[in-house]
Amino acid sequence: MKMNRFLSLVLVLLLLLPGLLLASGTKEAEKDGMIELSVYHYLDQTDKTTAPNFQHLVDVFESENPNIKLNFEYGYGESFHDKLQTMAMSGQLPDIILLYPGERTSQVTSAGLVKDLRPYLAGHESEFADMAMQAQGDNGEIWELPEDISITSIMYTNNKLLKNLGLSFPKTYDELIAQGAVIRNAGLIPISIANKDAWPMQSCLAGMLVERTCGMSWWNDVLAGNASYADPEFVYALDIIKDLQNQEMLSPGTNQLAYGQGLDDFVNERAVYFIDGGWTVNNMVGELTDEQKTYVSLESFPDIANQKGKSMSVSATAGQGFGMNANLTDEEAAAAWKWIWFYSGPEGSAIRQQYGRLPAYNLAEPEQADPMIKKLITFAGQVPMGYVMDSVIAAEPIGTFNINLQNMMFGTMTPEEVAKHLEDMVVALGR
Amino acid sequence: MTYTQQKHMSYWILVLPGILVFIAIIMFPVIYSFLLSFTNWNGYGKPSYAGLENYKTILIDPVFLHSLRNNLLIIAVSVFGQIPLGFLLAYLLHRKVVRHGNFYQTMIFLPITISPVVVALLWNQIFSSSGMIVALIRSVTQNPQYVIKIFEDPEFAIMPILFVLLWMHTGTYMIIYYANLQKMTPSVLEAAQIDGASEAQMLGRIILPSMIATIATTAIFAISGSLKAFDLIYAMTGGGPAHFTEVIAIYMYVNTFKYYKYGFGSATSIIIVLLAVGLILILQSISKKFERRYE
Repeated sequence: MKMNRFLSLVLVLLLLLPGLLLASGTKEAEKDGMIELSVYHYLDQTDKTTAPNFQHLVDVFESENPNIKLNFEYGYGESFHDKLQTMAMSGQLPDIILLYPGERTSQVTSAGLVKDLRPYLAGHESEFADMAMQAQGDNGEIWELPEDISITSIMYTNNKLLKNLGLSFPKTYDELIAQGAVIRNAGLIPISIANKDAWPMQSCLAGMLVERTCGMSWWNDVLAGNASYADPEFVYALDIIKDLQNQEMLSPGTNQLAYGQGLDDFVNERAVYFIDGGWTVNNMVGELTDEQKTYVSLESFPDIANQKGKSMSVSATAGQGFGMNANLTDEEAAAAWKWIWFYSGPEGSAIRQQYGRLPAYNLAEPEQADPMIKKLITFAGQVPMGYVMDSVIAAEPIGTFNINLQNMMFGTMTPEEVAKHLEDMVVALGR
Repeated sequence: MTYTQQKHMSYWILVLPGILVFIAIIMFPVIYSFLLSFTNWNGYGKPSYAGLENYKTILIDPVFLHSLRNNLLIIAVSVFGQIPLGFLLAYLLHRKVVRHGNFYQTMIFLPITISPVVVALLWNQIFSSSGMIVALIRSVTQNPQYVIKIFEDPEFAIMPILFVLLWMHTGTYMIIYYANLQKMTPSVLEAAQIDGASEAQMLGRIILPSMIATIATTAIFAISGSLKAFDLIYAMTGGGPAHFTEVIAIYMYVNTFKYYKYGFGSATSIIIVLLAVGLILILQSISKKFERRYE
């Protein structure tokens, strides 16, 4: 009988233990002047380039700030956003969170769950690129300190292959199309781009084409509700994507290719051109050989007939960065700001620049950097910049637009229908 | 307190924890989801009442209808593919038609032990336009532009997924049927054999009738599992390209967690439940008819 009671007691304790552990909470302890902060970051921990690079930054920060302990939790892809949403809704938002300047994490920023960083940043605004200091909230708030300027539409070019084929970088779209047959006849892909995930065609190509065909004044008008996505100049940008597909200029089966395949084809010299964002330089530093780095260049998409935008323009946005939980105490907030400033300020930016990033913090060109990084910095200084569509259009309309671009390429929608559908959604859901 | 009252009280004490857990884990989310389905809640603030708007929008949405069509195809493959094939394989093993039965049993069951994500990656390596089959065809035809066109066809893009589902889940049904076949009394079949019954007669008159309850149960598993199919498809195609391989669970996931339409997502989940219950009720009525026939 006694044994039965003892076993029952053990059973009850075992049942209660997980609940008690959960009830005890996960709030960081502050012992002996040590401040522990939880951090939620967007990182692919299996990426052999970005993961160790990020860890190096953390190590440098913790060695310089022995009284601050950062406990990281990572998410990647859609699961990052799913978990962020769940944490926010359940009132368990971490102390420091990676946020986006546009619509992507607006469910957190617009709900007042994070602090406005302007009081902390005061006096340092001019040290950042203008694009990075644009308001992120309705009242001019800065919710996160952008780490990078993200150019999303670079036309990486293999000049060795071009030369072997007797070609040179095209000045116009028509010249580019004329190169297609020569490149394909050599068994190569004209433009490598992998669009299985649906966002690359929009983020890396469509946004840039919209600036070219419509111009920045139209962009500003449409965002203010004074122009329409159904306008012919917007449809013209979509016509070009459709034409690129029809003329077999893009990777065969581009809508079946997982992101990463585009870079793979380019690095292995199966493609002459490769359209992707500036962030890819980070991978190219490790993936390209020293010889390849001498003949790979960063270019802008060629001029389009009757373009209203600027030659060489690209789409760009201030990138993501860390923000802090609105509920932090002053002491915790001061510690959190130390990390945020370290990461996006001069010190962390200099380290990240060495790794191939294009920091939002204004830095001199590094002397010892990889050739690809130097090329990216030079390129960024030369090109006019327009909007990236997914940074200025809400999640649902842009998500649907991405899918509709695939529909258009398969012939199940026309460019006019895609444009009208976007306009209808934007009108229905609000600009 | 009388003895009967004490007895009732002890029943309640014993059952109450289970009921509370059931209410907290099963009933509360279902009721909460049902109530949310009539709102436009985006995850924050007070939900605003939307009436039947979410249901109306879903039921006329071409993406939902295409997803429903894909789910029905998965149900068809499960009920008319995995179950008969699983039964056939189990029967062949049970009747010792093939040698080395244990080896085949293990090989057929193996896919279900692998994570769906790993299965998806594996088959993507074979099917994708940078995969094995395409590389082989490109090499043979000397056509570097070749791609498998069915993956870009709204009607047929789901086919490779149906094949993988068949490959993956048939083993589960085979094991269930094999276990049930082993439970059958051998003397019944021996007696039938002595009486001169053919293999087909034994199968049709003895084995299948005795397995009706098992077949009905596996069909319920197949239907409910098919309606909530998500992991393999999400890992393989994410529902793309262009919604071609989307199923209702992915439709619900995207609307709920990507577009933060919790009311809309809840309405979709309620539709999944209603569809599952409806199909299972039809199935039960069919299986009862068969049971009555063989009683």
